[in-house]
Amino acid sequence: MGDLLFKSLTETMSRLSDMVASFLPRLIAMAIIIIAGAIVAWILKVVVRRILRLIKFDQLSETTGFTRLLTQSALPSPADLLARFVFWVAWFAFLLLGLNALGIEALNNEIGRFFDVLPQIFVAILILFVGVVIANFFGRATLLGAVNANAPSPRLLSSMVRFVIIALAVTMALERIGLGQGVVLMAFSIAFGAVMFGLALAFGLGGRDAARRLLEKRFLEDKKKDDDEGISQL
Amino acid sequence: MDSIVSDEFLRQITAIGQVDVLVSVPTADNRHTIEHAVNAVQIGLAKYFPRERTALMNVDAQSRDGTPEIVREAAVRDFQSYLAPTPLRSSPIITASCHPSLGQAGALRLTLTAADLLRAKACAIVSPDVASLTPEWIDALLRPIYREGLDQLTPIYQRHRFAGLLVRNILAPVVGAVYGYEIEEPAPDEISFSGVLACHLLAQDVWQESFMRSGALMWLTTTALAGNFRVGQSFLGPKVFAARHFSPSLAETMQSAVGALFKSMEEHQAFWRQRTSSQAVPLFGFPVDVEIGSAHLNRKKMFEMFRSGANAISSILAEILSSPTLDAVLQAANTADDHCYFSDELWTKVVYEFAASYHRGVMNRDHLLQALIPVYRGRISSYLWENRGAHLEELRKRREVLHLEFERMKPYLIEKWFGET
Amino acid sequence: MHHSLSMPETTLNARITYDDPLWFKDAVLYELHVRSFQDSDGDGIGDFRGLIERLGYLADLGVNILWLLPFYPSPLKDDGYDISNFTDIHPSYGTLDDFRKFLEEAHRRRLYVLTELVLNHTSDQHPWFQQARASRDNPLRNYYVWSDDREKYPGARIIFTDTEASNWAWDPISKQYYWHRFFSHQPDLNYDNPEVLEEIWRVMKFWLDLGVDAFRLDAVPYLIERAGTNCENLPETHAVLRTLRSRLERSYPGRFLLAEANQWPTDVRAYFGDGNECHVAFHFPLMPRIFMSVRLEDRKPIVEIMERTPAIPENCQWATFLRNHDELTLEMVTDVERDYLYDEYANDRMMRLNVGIRRRLSPLLENDRRRVELLNGILLSFPGSPVIYYGDEIGMGDNVYLGDRNGVRTPMQWSGGWNAGFSTADPEKLCMPIVSNAVYGYQAVNVESQRRSLHSLLSWTTRIIRIRKSTRVFSRGTLEFLKPQNHHVLAYVRQYRRDIVLAVNNLSSCAQAVELDLSQFHGLIPIEMFGGNPFPRIDQRPYLLTLGPYQFFWFRLRQI
Repeated sequence: MGDLLFKSLTETMSRLSDMVASFLPRLIAMAIIIIAGAIVAWILKVVVRRILRLIKFDQLSETTGFTRLLTQSALPSPADLLARFVFWVAWFAFLLLGLNALGIEALNNEIGRFFDVLPQIFVAILILFVGVVIANFFGRATLLGAVNANAPSPRLLSSMVRFVIIALAVTMALERIGLGQGVVLMAFSIAFGAVMFGLALAFGLGGRDAARRLLEKRFLEDKKKDDDEGISQL
Repeated sequence: MDSIVSDEFLRQITAIGQVDVLVSVPTADNRHTIEHAVNAVQIGLAKYFPRERTALMNVDAQSRDGTPEIVREAAVRDFQSYLAPTPLRSSPIITASCHPSLGQAGALRLTLTAADLLRAKACAIVSPDVASLTPEWIDALLRPIYREGLDQLTPIYQRHRFAGLLVRNILAPVVGAVYGYEIEEPAPDEISFSGVLACHLLAQDVWQESFMRSGALMWLTTTALAGNFRVGQSFLGPKVFAARHFSPSLAETMQSAVGALFKSMEEHQAFWRQRTSSQAVPLFGFPVDVEIGSAHLNRKKMFEMFRSGANAISSILAEILSSPTLDAVLQAANTADDHCYFSDELWTKVVYEFAASYHRGVMNRDHLLQALIPVYRGRISSYLWENRGAHLEELRKRREVLHLEFERMKPYLIEKWFGET
Repeated sequence: MHHSLSMPETTLNARITYDDPLWFKDAVLYELHVRSFQDSDGDGIGDFRGLIERLGYLADLGVNILWLLPFYPSPLKDDGYDISNFTDIHPSYGTLDDFRKFLEEAHRRRLYVLTELVLNHTSDQHPWFQQARASRDNPLRNYYVWSDDREKYPGARIIFTDTEASNWAWDPISKQYYWHRFFSHQPDLNYDNPEVLEEIWRVMKFWLDLGVDAFRLDAVPYLIERAGTNCENLPETHAVLRTLRSRLERSYPGRFLLAEANQWPTDVRAYFGDGNECHVAFHFPLMPRIFMSVRLEDRKPIVEIMERTPAIPENCQWATFLRNHDELTLEMVTDVERDYLYDEYANDRMMRLNVGIRRRLSPLLENDRRRVELLNGILLSFPGSPVIYYGDEIGMGDNVYLGDRNGVRTPMQWSGGWNAGFSTADPEKLCMPIVSNAVYGYQAVNVESQRRSLHSLLSWTTRIIRIRKSTRVFSRGTLEFLKPQNHHVLAYVRQYRRDIVLAVNNLSSCAQAVELDLSQFHGLIPIEMFGGNPFPRIDQRPYLLTLGPYQFFWFRLRQI
């Protein structure tokens, strides 16, 4: 009895120790992967920040109005932001890799699915960002163009342009991660007219000079004669 | 290796070899005025540089109205009747063309290249748009360079009293205060420079920059100042544009001229940070104070556009201007009267803050320059109101006061420009 | 017809005979002063016997016609142009027998002789004038032009502006003014008097009978005076010339007349008449323009004057020159051009005389061999019979400190020895001091030393004259300017029958590239005429040539 108990105990112990012995290396491997990942991600972050500084990424984004978007949202400089983003993505990937190393079947499936969706999330975020930047840019261009051309309700015009472009970006981003396809389709069909209008405006402002001249001709026939344009400014 | 010198251009340069004096006339669809301009130049060269080796150059921005053909045909038949001697030498005409998208920079770069390759001692650029171009301009523009050893000469014109408001209110005062040289026309249509300066300019790495498209001459002026070249000014007399002259809109002018100015300031910041005082430059020619022409400016409408514009873009202005300045601007805009008072001090602050914001890149630079327009309208309407009955003499005095204000406030610019955000 | 360069020289010269009535068209003239050329008797003055000794040199040089400056008895107040006896030799230069001997020796070497016929005026020492002034009713009184009014003919300009104030001079003996276009000691003959013409014809016959081959008619535009005109180029003057020509033609076929008329080409053209006045006339305006072009480094002045030069009758010829015994005359240029030439070529006022510059070729070109060659190249490849002024073939210098035009009339520099080999007299005794500075002096510049070197200016000049004479295209061909974009380059095509020559001259001090439109000659091969090397064949594309500073090429374009 005692023997049996001892035997089963030792068997259990040895099984446990076997299990521990077989699980422990995985755990250690996971830890190593996660720690190494952290280090690699940190190095990546530093490298990315260096490179971005080298190519003067901050000044580049300033001119596009991107920086202002970030400063408004109380975020760090775009180069810093991008570097941090790279760090977290890299580290997260290593984290998942580490979990994977544990060899737990169910968990592995979930991780696999996550990796499938990850690029889409990336793209969606990117689309949203670019959309906001473009909307801001054209919104401001419209406002200034309209003001300088003495067009009626410049602010309304500007807001419309901005709204349409952001709406377009949002629908595109949602569609990218595959959420609410129906909603997207509906929103798109509703917004289609508005989008076309926005595109037309954006296009017009793309060829700003031509558009401005057109506007001035349209609205300011009399202005030509007796306004500040009547005499050489130079 | 890509070269801006085409084979045909090089062939013409080879044929000419060397000149003492080069005059360049950039054209773009100037069929109606080009012959007058070319003849004036030819007579001027025969009359004032009879012994020198001279050449006339035309850089055409792919005109479709046959301008280059007219240039090639243009010849003065009888010099005697223009009180000029028949030229001793052949009078070669160089014809070159550049892509219209390059704007001023294309013509300027080819002219500088020609001046460099031909080892010209003096080179002038004249605009075919100016109807009042006379042979005497050639003398006035080139002699101080050729004989007195100056490196650059900007013109002084007789114009309508309210012509060149942008020059009077932004360009000239900023150049005076920042670069420390009193230049009346820092962004002229006519300019002349020495061969040495031409080589210096050609070596600058700016030719791909977009502001050069229409701000090349502004850049030229400031670069000569920053390079410590010997600069001067010459009285040319009345400047009257030809009837078909296409004057660009205020927005385009603002973008090109002020854009080029701010950009130049950025390029030369190491130079002007050190300069503390302003100096006059040598003047050539005989000044005549006569007001010419008349133009009606709708001051009230301008003020209205200032009021509505400044309010509409106040959020944009908030990013550019400091809050006290913005408040002052908006206060001026929202006055109860039908006119505003835009003081010299406020205007100086506005310009300097715009320049600094341009430098720091708070937003797209085109947008920034466009945002200046409504504020500029306010300043102009105030300027017109204050000077509605002023004599030429009073206008000049007021100009000096403004210049002094810009000079006085230069530390403010340095603080805003170089200071930490 | 192509002539080989190696053709013996004697046969080349032999081609010029009276058998060809247009022989003078192919001539190369050599202008010399008997007084300054060679002294044979040690009196310090050159003479005909000395000249005979040097004929070998002249034959070797390759010239055909010797143009002798006046050698007649004269008080020598105007370098012999003030003649006191038309039919004798100045005793300093020898005797008529010496002259006969000279003619014989020259002709034996196929050298022809052109003498001066000063028909406009005489010296005031001439017996004609001595008699004419003796009294108002002397039979010879009418040989000259007299007036009581010194304001007569106000339209006539004064030529020697530096020395004369009026064209009239007071004769204290007969108490009347006499007319003189040049110096006051040179009264003008009166060609309104038919007797004068007969006298001059007798003078001509005298020399023609001796064997003289041609006359240079001095100062022809001024023979006749008429009120209300500038007294130049009058129809009556042309009538005189036609008479002399027809008599010459009838009695002495093959001899020719050379007109000296310092006028615009269109005015000079009249002296050819319809081929019935003078055979040859000087082209005065070309010369200053050659100098101007090379200083401006631009072909414009030369091209313009040649394009303004009218065509002349088939039996006539221009005589062209770079320098002669007179000052480099600037009458035929505009004021701006004159000022320019003065400033560029005669900065020192000493160098200026009347309306001109009294300098020789080499000093004018700052002793720059390249420019001397270039200018000779242009002269010898241009239409017309070229004149070489003695001494210029070796690059002699001048002495502007001698009065009047004597600075360019100093003795020929034959060697580095005693008196430059010119005379055995004491140097102090010489008619004119020899140039002796370090640059142009006879020890540096002389015939003897230049004969030793194949590359001396003398050897080069000999060679270029030979090339010039190797084809008639230079003397008789048409002239067509090519107008390449590069205006530093003067390029032209000469064409005579099937002979085509292309001359390309770089007028500038820098190397030049030039593209010539030679498409009309495509397929032909240019042969460089000095070395004989073929150049790339001409095709439809622009023909690219590169030229060094002041370099020039002559190409014969051959169909091979």
